[in-house]
Amino acid sequence: MNISRRTALSMAVPLLGGVRLLGQDATFKVKVDMVVLSFTVTDSKGRYINGLKHTDFRVLEDGISQKIVTFAEGNKPPMQILDDGSTRPLLNAEAVGKEGVGEGRSDAFVGTNVFILFDTSNYMYRGFVYASDAIADFVRGLDRADSVAVYTFSRNLTRAASLTKDRTDAIVGLRKAVAGDDSAIYNALLLTLRDAAKVPGRKVVIVFSNGPDNGSMVAPDDVRVVAEDEGIPIYVISTSEVNKDSISSGVFRRISTRTGGKAYFAKTWQKQVEAFESIREDLGNSYTLTYYPATNPNEGFRKIGVEVISDVGKKYRIRARPGYRPSRIF
Amino acid sequence: MKLSSLAVLGILFSPMVIPADLDQAFALEAKGSVQEAKSLLHKAAASATAAIETKIAYAEFLDQRRDPQTLSVYRDLLPSLPAGSPNRAVVERRIQILDLIARKPTNNASSNHPTIQIPGPIRSFNRMAALSPDLTPDDLLGALARNIVTNGFQASSGREALEQTEYLKLVVRYLSQAREIQKLAGESGILRIEECDSSITADLLRILGYRMRGGCGNEVVLETVNASRAFLTIDSGFPLAQLEQSLRTNSLFEYDYRPTSVSVLYGPDYWLPSKDKRATDTDFIDFFITDPSVCRFYLGLSKLDPETAEALKNDVPLARLKAFAHVLDFYGGMFEVRNGRALVPGGSRAEPGWAKLAGASPDQGGKFLSALMVKDDGWLASYYDATARLSGKLQEYLTEPSRMERFYNAIRGKITSPGPARPVFRANTEMMLLTSRLRLGSDGRPHIPGSVEVWKQLFIKHPNGKYDGKLTKSAAGWKEPDDVLEALFALTRKAVENEPLKIFMALSDINRHRKTPLREETVDRLAREWRTYGSQFMIFTEVPQVEDQTMLSFLDNASRISGYRNHQIRSDAAGLQQALTGLWQIFCRQNLIPPSGRDAALSEILGNFVDAKTSVDLFDAGRKSVQILLTATGTTGNTSPHDRMMDLLVGESQISNPQAHTQLVQEMARIFDSQRLIPLSMIFEIADNLQSASEGGKLNTQLMGRFTSRIQEIQPARISLSGAEKNVMSFGYATELHIETQRKVNFRQIADRASKNQEKLADARGHLTKFLRDTLVGLNYIHYAPPGAQILITNPLFVRSHDFIGIQGINQTWRNTEVFGSGWPSSAGGRLVGSLSSLPYALANAEQNFLIPTREQALIWGDLVPQMIVSAKVPRWWNVASTQMHFVGLHLRLGESAVAAAALDEQKRVSVLNILSRQIPPARLKSIGDSLKQGDAGKAIESILPSEFFVLAHQAIAENIEIPGPEARAIARLRQASPEKHSMEAISVAFGTPKPTLAHSYLPELLNLRTFPTLMGYSSRILAESWESSTIYFAALADELDIPPSQLNVNVPLWTQKTVEAIFATHLEDWPALLRSLRVVGEDIRTTHRNETAQRASLND
Repeated sequence: MNISRRTALSMAVPLLGGVRLLGQDATFKVKVDMVVLSFTVTDSKGRYINGLKHTDFRVLEDGISQKIVTFAEGNKPPMQILDDGSTRPLLNAEAVGKEGVGEGRSDAFVGTNVFILFDTSNYMYRGFVYASDAIADFVRGLDRADSVAVYTFSRNLTRAASLTKDRTDAIVGLRKAVAGDDSAIYNALLLTLRDAAKVPGRKVVIVFSNGPDNGSMVAPDDVRVVAEDEGIPIYVISTSEVNKDSISSGVFRRISTRTGGKAYFAKTWQKQVEAFESIREDLGNSYTLTYYPATNPNEGFRKIGVEVISDVGKKYRIRARPGYRPSRIF
Repeated sequence: MKLSSLAVLGILFSPMVIPADLDQAFALEAKGSVQEAKSLLHKAAASATAAIETKIAYAEFLDQRRDPQTLSVYRDLLPSLPAGSPNRAVVERRIQILDLIARKPTNNASSNHPTIQIPGPIRSFNRMAALSPDLTPDDLLGALARNIVTNGFQASSGREALEQTEYLKLVVRYLSQAREIQKLAGESGILRIEECDSSITADLLRILGYRMRGGCGNEVVLETVNASRAFLTIDSGFPLAQLEQSLRTNSLFEYDYRPTSVSVLYGPDYWLPSKDKRATDTDFIDFFITDPSVCRFYLGLSKLDPETAEALKNDVPLARLKAFAHVLDFYGGMFEVRNGRALVPGGSRAEPGWAKLAGASPDQGGKFLSALMVKDDGWLASYYDATARLSGKLQEYLTEPSRMERFYNAIRGKITSPGPARPVFRANTEMMLLTSRLRLGSDGRPHIPGSVEVWKQLFIKHPNGKYDGKLTKSAAGWKEPDDVLEALFALTRKAVENEPLKIFMALSDINRHRKTPLREETVDRLAREWRTYGSQFMIFTEVPQVEDQTMLSFLDNASRISGYRNHQIRSDAAGLQQALTGLWQIFCRQNLIPPSGRDAALSEILGNFVDAKTSVDLFDAGRKSVQILLTATGTTGNTSPHDRMMDLLVGESQISNPQAHTQLVQEMARIFDSQRLIPLSMIFEIADNLQSASEGGKLNTQLMGRFTSRIQEIQPARISLSGAEKNVMSFGYATELHIETQRKVNFRQIADRASKNQEKLADARGHLTKFLRDTLVGLNYIHYAPPGAQILITNPLFVRSHDFIGIQGINQTWRNTEVFGSGWPSSAGGRLVGSLSSLPYALANAEQNFLIPTREQALIWGDLVPQMIVSAKVPRWWNVASTQMHFVGLHLRLGESAVAAAALDEQKRVSVLNILSRQIPPARLKSIGDSLKQGDAGKAIESILPSEFFVLAHQAIAENIEIPGPEARAIARLRQASPEKHSMEAISVAFGTPKPTLAHSYLPELLNLRTFPTLMGYSSRILAESWESSTIYFAALADELDIPPSQLNVNVPLWTQKTVEAIFATHLEDWPALLRSLRVVGEDIRTTHRNETAQRASLND
């Protein structure tokens, strides 16, 4: 018996956008997932601008205007944007759900899913316990609506605490962390992003490390691309001084800014606490909107632009991921 | 009813009354419809008029497939069987056996050894000492000793004495902290904090290195005040978060902090020096961990069975034993003294030889072993160990006294230091490999590839410098195979690359499956070119149909390609030829190219590359070769080459299980796309269009547009090396150029420029060569992609970055595939360098650290895991029959039954232990024997590997040992029905594992060797290759759960991944941890599958 692969593949396609044929054989289809876009708006002095409405924004993808489906500010519950421009609370998360972890959770789009990636390699040996304290403080201080997962890594990744709203569970997992050996930070970051990508709603990854990597098989920029495509901002708290390891510092900056996150260089415990405080502020002062991309022939990198429509808004700075590549299914 | 069915059924009763239903049931079973057969039998057995034979047949059917209902169905039979009848006795016996198998092993915590106490909970100590939490109290100190020996001490700068490593310092500090907490817990050992605001809270926090931020109440936060103590608190797993929570809520915090008792072999006093004999049982641990010599000695003695250890202890002064603890540790595992006599390899015939070599008679067991240990700093013991691992004719051959003396003298040489037990790993690797892989011919003489003359000339003329001056001289007089062997044994002492031995083993393995051995001149050429092309010889081992002439053509081509000066042409030529040979190898392995067509296909492929010196030539050669592969695999009609290739790479020509097939194709397509490779059909279509345009046709702009948009997706080659990296390794330029050249290809432009030159337009297909190369190389990668394939999915340039040139000055084009470039955040990620010869292992090696251990604190076992992934990914089970899987399942079941029967019957015990002794070392065998004597079959079964059960069952049948139960009869039935499918050779191919190091081949096979220890130069890699239990276990599991063999193609990689992720090993030889993980994962699969089946059944109802 011989069946047509194309037939079998087509049956498995849940939602298709553009369809493309390569040669006459391999069939690739572009899967149009809902795009989740988180961003912050600040003024020229870096102060957060709050209170903006969905009507204040225009979202462009490769210059094509997009219709916003949901909109939320900070940790407030997201609002569904109706066709007439009016809003109503988004109650049924399944309406915009995506397969994977957490599917069907009615609160999936409320709060942020925070994935903390804690470096427990030899490089962190001296600051291990202080880092653990700083992370514990951060977890305790998260908004009630947020969920948190604690992962640790040295040569391998460990899921110390799975995504939970229970702070105690997360801290119990954190406090079980064991000091390890080599560091494969980008391998671990990739695996964390893969887990985070399965969760619906808004999510961020916070990496707590001092930088060196002697075990990764994937390059930081390949990992960054995954974060861009999945719309997951990466925040990095480096416990190393910015000038001490210029290679790691440069990489940290690049992967965080390109994904809509930030990099902090915080050698002391106090600075680490401040960095966490800044991230918390970022989470609380950011906007999250979703949209289904309008028809777009581009199957490569799609550039996202967010604009504040008003004149005054033109002076604002918007920090968001620059774009993404639509995923393909086979 | 046909008489033949009697054997089929294995029924216990008269054949005359067997109902017809049974024939039908077994016919269904034979064609793989197990559930239907079961239903039919169930129905027949449940009928009011069912004959007793039917009921028994049903019970036996369930029994053979480990159905959970088996015991109850057997028990339900008893009332209908008259008391005292033979049938009743047989059923009762089977119930007894099954009860024994099902019974949980007794808790072995209560061994007879005296104990000592370790402060605090054992899980905390285990965490600090890097010990598996699964260790029993009997095994803990031995594992700890090993960790102390390997990781506890390091050379100190400027001093001779060793100093403690950070690992050991932390253990010592933890013990101190644990004692403080224990004191605080008081006599009860239970740490109780009833109130937040109390002195005990303050004391505890001080010991833990924490303090409260803020006063008592719901804002309490514990923060570090003493980093050293806090580190121990966290690292030992003290429940700090729970303590914090209790303080916050002012509720009771209770923690069991009682000390743990662990066994000490021979009691603490044996190990303590006389001045410290008064050390209490609680201090012993401090003494133990700070003396590496005691730890090594403990480790050595723990390898011996009690009787052997007792003999040594009685006959040898402690100081002397301790001085050779390293030899005991590495080579004592096969020592065996019974009734005062040493049981030597080769038996009584070899005793005089061993007595002469050791200088003591085996009649005096302890003294003989002592002499053996000290002789030549352990070299004699290492030879003893290597030969003791063998059995049968090979052992007889190597232990013939005069030969043994001759070979040992060659090993020994004149200078015996350093001994093979001095380094961190056993240094007799080559000796172990030579003895275990040596092959005797039908004439009883060792197989020498080519002839003695070839080897003589090799040693005399030595193409790459002298191997050994003395051997070069003596070679002139060689006449017999033993002369060659003697030289090889002499070389096993060489610490550096042992080329002749490696050549010998590689060529022996090539000959192993060939109908006609390699010709002398072929052996001579292969031996001389081994250094450059040796890693390619695996191709010839794997496909024994390759003719000598084709091998020589391969070498000619390789040599020609190596001579190309242009790096781009050289790497394209090497890449194309290797990728095509790799695909041919896969298709041969999967039996997609019939044996009769294999040599011709390879020969034609090689022929295409003989004169290919330009891009255009290479493209044409590549394209023709793809067509050769398609034709050889029986491809007909207008099938798209790309689709067909993907189907073939799944491993089957005709789709047998559409769901599994499609799943694998989808996984492959995903990787193919992630790598931005160009489908074969598109490449060929463009080439055809260019040709047509050159002949006046039209250029297909749409096609070119599609191609261009695909090219645009290829990312630019990243600057793969930072300045620091460039200083370390100066290579990679060829790869960057390779990628950039592809990115610049623009056929419209090329066509425009060549519009007036037809030849130029036709030759434009040369621009497709790099794409063709990457696609073909990529297809190899995709076939071997490990589960998850994170690198291939994430790094779009991984395939394109394959570097066939490597580091300048080292011709890596034909060498083993190696992983380069891990770590270094500025790099472009890891890449593979060298040839494609060991691609499966290299990919698994690169991917292994993406596996996520499920056990807290566990790490992925670096040297073992790649081989496990290879074993799960290279074999395919499309052509395996369900009866073959059942055959394996029955063997494992029969093996367990045999062990259970041995617990009930002394005579059987002797027979079973005798068979097991060929696989299991004396100490473990003794422990199994003791368990069986006590009737504890469960404990014995727990310590036997699936592969050992398999061999046990096979031998039990061969030796006519009668085991109560239906398995042996069912095995006989399968053999009778289809002898070829159920031969050991067929089962070996179906459920074996690839052994690239041990057998120089990726062709799956079972070698039934003893599990190897770690060896210098290979760490756990050979151990992993000798581990044959996983696939056998999974096959039996699938048989039990009625999962079709084709589904193994999807399940085995996933089950292997789960097994790897659940391993918690303490050290590099901790295969019991692997066995535990295998069984835990198996139980999990079993439970999940049965629950799902039950759910489906209830939904259908």
